[in-house]
Amino acid sequence: MSELRTKSPADLSAKLAGETRYLHDMNFPGQLVGAIYRSPYAHARILSINVEQAKQVEGVVAVLTADDLPSYKYGPTKFKDWNLLAKDRVLFIGDEIVAIAAETKEAAQRALELVEVEFEPLPGLFDPEDSLKPGAPLLHEDVEANKPMQVSVSRGDLEEGKRKAAIVKGGRYYSNRIYQGHLEPVGAIASWSDEEGITIWAPSHIPYRARETYAAGFGLPEDKVRIIVPPIGGSFGSKYVLKVHVIAAALAMATRRHVKIILDRYEDMITAHPRVPLTFDIEIGADEEGHFVYKELTVYADAGARVYWSPNVVSTVCTRADNIYHFGSVKSEGYLCYTNNSPTTCMRGFGNAEMLFAVESVIDEIALDLNMDPAELRLKNIVHQGDTTLHGYRLDTCKLDECIEKVKELSGWHRRSSLPPYRGLGLAVANHVSGFRAIDPRFDGSTAVIRLKQDGEIEVETGEVELGQGMSLTYARIASMILGIPEAAILVKSGDTGRYPFGIGTLASRSTVMGGNAVQKAARSLAVKLKELARETLGEAADFREGAAVLEGQTYSLSEMASWYRARHAGEELEIKETYVPDTDLPDATYFGHPSPNYPFAAHVAEVEVDPDTGRTKVIGYWAVHDSGTIIHETMAKGQVLGAIAQGIGWVTMEDLLVKEGKVMNPSMMDYRMPGAKDMPEAEVFFIEGEDPNGPLGAKSIGEVALDPVPGAIANAIAHATGKRGYALPLSAEKVWKSLQNA
Amino acid sequence: MSAGQQDGNFKLNLNGQEVAWSGEPAASLADVIRDQQGLTGTKIGCRTGECGACTVLLEGRPVVSCLIPAASVQGQQVETIEGLARQEEFQSLMTAMQENGGVQCGFCTPGVMVTTWAWLQNPALFNGDLGSALKNNLCRCTGYLGIIRSAEQVLAGRGAGV
Ligand code: FES
Ligand code: FES
Repeated sequence: MSELRTKSPADLSAKLAGETRYLHDMNFPGQLVGAIYRSPYAHARILSINVEQAKQVEGVVAVLTADDLPSYKYGPTKFKDWNLLAKDRVLFIGDEIVAIAAETKEAAQRALELVEVEFEPLPGLFDPEDSLKPGAPLLHEDVEANKPMQVSVSRGDLEEGKRKAAIVKGGRYYSNRIYQGHLEPVGAIASWSDEEGITIWAPSHIPYRARETYAAGFGLPEDKVRIIVPPIGGSFGSKYVLKVHVIAAALAMATRRHVKIILDRYEDMITAHPRVPLTFDIEIGADEEGHFVYKELTVYADAGARVYWSPNVVSTVCTRADNIYHFGSVKSEGYLCYTNNSPTTCMRGFGNAEMLFAVESVIDEIALDLNMDPAELRLKNIVHQGDTTLHGYRLDTCKLDECIEKVKELSGWHRRSSLPPYRGLGLAVANHVSGFRAIDPRFDGSTAVIRLKQDGEIEVETGEVELGQGMSLTYARIASMILGIPEAAILVKSGDTGRYPFGIGTLASRSTVMGGNAVQKAARSLAVKLKELARETLGEAADFREGAAVLEGQTYSLSEMASWYRARHAGEELEIKETYVPDTDLPDATYFGHPSPNYPFAAHVAEVEVDPDTGRTKVIGYWAVHDSGTIIHETMAKGQVLGAIAQGIGWVTMEDLLVKEGKVMNPSMMDYRMPGAKDMPEAEVFFIEGEDPNGPLGAKSIGEVALDPVPGAIANAIAHATGKRGYALPLSAEKVWKSLQNA
Repeated sequence: MSAGQQDGNFKLNLNGQEVAWSGEPAASLADVIRDQQGLTGTKIGCRTGECGACTVLLEGRPVVSCLIPAASVQGQQVETIEGLARQEEFQSLMTAMQENGGVQCGFCTPGVMVTTWAWLQNPALFNGDLGSALKNNLCRCTGYLGIIRSAEQVLAGRGAGV
């Protein structure tokens, strides 16, 4: 078997040779080009829409407004505030009003220019706290006070904690609007047929949720919507469920032809739903010895004009970090606020990374006041193996203490007291989940199908989705270890709601543990079945070992076994379907529960050099130590960590999607600077391995916990280098320079 | 093609072969390569010359093909990822990239491979520094170190006769 055979859609050699076909590279005969007329106003009443001239343009096949479409209210979470196209009001710059399908891009462009919409501008809300003030205009009439969601969490006796506190630190922290920066712009191709309904080719990593959401949008049964996922050219949270997918579908229904929409980078950046910006008022108290006694938090989150995944982000902000330290008592209030900014959604780290930026900053301040080594202070307060955390996470494994010790050693933490001026070392720790029970309160877990193909190859089908994170390679390795056959003989397939098993979606760092457990279970069952097949065919003395049936030194290959099976089963292939149901508890109304099969941990140290003349920070060294259980695919796992470090460097030192009165001020890759090769320091990644009883082969997740500590570590290093704490991300050159001037 | 534009017939030397294309002279090289020649390995991430996904070799030097009018490179050698992938030494770079974690989602990858390949042919072009050579290639997934280590591995392997 050649190493080069396609393990769709993950095959790295195809990617390296330029053979992988992404959405952009797919075309269908007779395909039309879709385009969207978007609101130039952040908030306005639509007085009239005139598309008569647009319809006359040669080559234009369909021009749709809200009047041509059903008007169901739908949405991916329990907040149903989506429409197909705007009817009476627009709520942000970029809100979709008219959809056009044409034979060529030029015709679509010409038609866009001829659309006439009359607006009556309305006062806009751009700050989440202002949105909650009495008298603010309501953006969604059925949602009181522009507040689709409020989270209140309280555990332990906060008042008593406050009495015990000898030292209290905190303040107001801000996390910024980060663009996910996927290299492949957002897009979709859709088609319609009366028998099949809607088919959408869309790089979504939650295709089943997308199916459910879009079916509701059109008032169709779910089986009349099929999502096919081509290889995904990067997402980090931006490619879940998107209006552009439904608009392509609406155009395909109207024209009965394939319609392709690829957003250009400008359109992508004004509408691609960045990370939810947060304002934190936080306070942490500690006693004289440095034991934490309470944490108090109020957070305002900017949902933008419509709800994507921001509610889940807010609940994560209000809870996750409390499971990493023994805070004694905590109280969190979280407000999700509608504004006239472009809708926001999740990005890798999902609220936890933002919260940890604030928490890890405050902890360093406490250490400074106590005159204690920040690593020491953390070791005093962190959770340990066997603990049940404040909100109910059961930690069957946790090597966070070892991670801290190891990262100190690797980074030369002892150098901290003797660094030259404007050089700093900062430490931060993190936890995460490996899947989260509350993503779908109805059920959890994952299903895998495993099949012996006629040529002796093993096909694995999963409901999870490959994003380039290495999921398919990980699954191939799991199946290979269990069955004792080479990875190259295993094909992993996913990403088609019409063919592959149901999946919750590849989010919350689910893929390795949830999908991996399902694959492990299916592979084990297949091994049993293959043994049975060997015995049925060759007699009781036969066995199945290392990819072949064996009897008295004679081996029979998997392809021979496949034909035995087919001969006995009317040509059918040997196929097994297994569902992994994790041992988790849905968090209760107070947010207490055990939401994930296991929990990864990490400790990172960043070394920075700040230029006092410009304020510019250069990250000059980075050490990341992780407890992710058994590492199944080391290269891919390391790649996840290194990529996260680069993203974190961008997040903290340069990236900010600037919005003024709802308008994105830097919607290009020139003006929104992301890290390049020269911004990446030498970085060392180290895994403290150990089997977790709940992970496949003992694994825990890695994708998000890799980013979670980065903002805190770099922010702490900058504070160490300059003696000034930054409260608002990004800690750009300008901000750092200004802080240095205020002696 | 919209009416009124001066469409014409042009030639391109693509991956060592003379090919003809017709259309608007200002059409971008990236579009001609992808849409008329069907070579979709060249990706489009921004169309403004910033991401490097569309990098091809022009006379051996990496350039962003989204900004180049296709008619302006008649008579010059253009090589895309598909052309490079046919060369023998490319395989060792591919292997190194897999071993060192130089690829994840793969969308930046063809452009990164083109630039890295050019650097391997002539490291002096970029003062010997691959980081500088890659300044026009954004990668959001890998954190770049895997790419740099891969190139170094290929360079080191060459001396050893790999
Ligand atoms: S598409 Fe050419 S540089 Fe981005
Ligand atoms: S591998 Fe995804 S952008 Fe480089």
